Amino acid sequence: MSERYSRQTLFAPIGKEGQEKIRSKHVLIIGAGALGSGNAEMMARSGAGKLTIIDRDYVEESNLQRQQLFAESDAAEKMPKAAAAEKRLKQINSEVEIRSIIGDATPEKLEELADGVDLILDSTDNFETRMAINDISQKYTIPWIYGACVGSFGMSMTILPGKTPCMNCLLKKIPIQGMTCDTGGIIAPAVQMVVAHQAAEALKILAEDWEAVRTAMVSFDLWRNQYTSMKVSKAKDEGCLSCGKDRTYPYLQAENMMKSTILCGRDTVQIRPPKELLIEFTEIARQLKSLGYQVKGNPYLLSVEMEEQRMVLFKDGRALIHGTKDLAHAKSIYQRIMG
Amino acid sequence: MNKIMFFAHLRDRVGEESVTRDVSGKTIAELKQLLEEEFGLKLDSVMAAVNEEFASDDEVIQNGDAVAFIPPVSGG
Repeated sequence: MSERYSRQTLFAPIGKEGQEKIRSKHVLIIGAGALGSGNAEMMARSGAGKLTIIDRDYVEESNLQRQQLFAESDAAEKMPKAAAAEKRLKQINSEVEIRSIIGDATPEKLEELADGVDLILDSTDNFETRMAINDISQKYTIPWIYGACVGSFGMSMTILPGKTPCMNCLLKKIPIQGMTCDTGGIIAPAVQMVVAHQAAEALKILAEDWEAVRTAMVSFDLWRNQYTSMKVSKAKDEGCLSCGKDRTYPYLQAENMMKSTILCGRDTVQIRPPKELLIEFTEIARQLKSLGYQVKGNPYLLSVEMEEQRMVLFKDGRALIHGTKDLAHAKSIYQRIMG
Repeated sequence: MNKIMFFAHLRDRVGEESVTRDVSGKTIAELKQLLEEEFGLKLDSVMAAVNEEFASDDEVIQNGDAVAFIPPVSGG
């Protein structure tokens, strides 16, 4: 092995043997925002064998304060986060196999991506996706690491199927989301603190040092100087529908998934068609221009300016409607353009 | 007596990191209801810990127990 990982292999709990294990592993990262950027960079630098990263959004100026994989040029070009992340990660470590997916981490998509994965790193911004990750983790016996932050507060927990309680044991239902995201903003150190916890757990799991894995949920507030660790083993519920004896994986059932979602704190609604499309941009751009809309784009997306709103359309038929939180209104804008 | 601690936005809503109340003999669910009334909090999806260990809604609080309320956050 080259000098590249020498400082990591000198660290006794990893060693040469641990490093070889890390090099042979496949990590799936859900989300390429703040946590996704940090986690993906750590995994790439650590020499994980393969990284798959999926994200549905594109880079905006307001991301640059904390999303470490992106540059001003990515925001100016509205690059999809997954594509921009892949480009940067390949610059960081060309030895790592990187695959990026521009799209929504639906239960269907997660089932497809789970094949051959050794670890799932949660870097999403919503509990709908986390509960689906949790069910996938139990169904295919893949460990996953929860991480989340808002303001100066962050938390993380490692879920090992068959050993620890799962997210559904702890929460029982999807928490109300708007409660924390809209108001608190976020500071970059809170992101990095969550990433540090997630990435350390990831290295333990990839190096197969199971005894070292943390079995408590940690939470901390970097501004108010709080740090707490909550033991969770008592939370394991034999009747849990995700990890108990009579499990049904409730969050993998399509009827439980919404087709339109208000994005946390963004004054934006996402519309997802029931089936993935493959849109030919040149034709639709021509039509929209002839109707008097201002249209901009790149090979991955099309941005359409309207009076009050802006719609960003992706190749798979998904759209982000900016400037509204009204699901019905957003749907009508989508249908006005997409038919 | 019991120390009751609040994390993240709950702390902002309460205005303090912790309050002291005598709630021994009450369940977590009953304490949640009391706090909802006193501080206008919404605690139905908030996790509770007693002495740094996860506690379900039906766990009974003992004298001297420290109770913490930790809201699961979703940002990322």
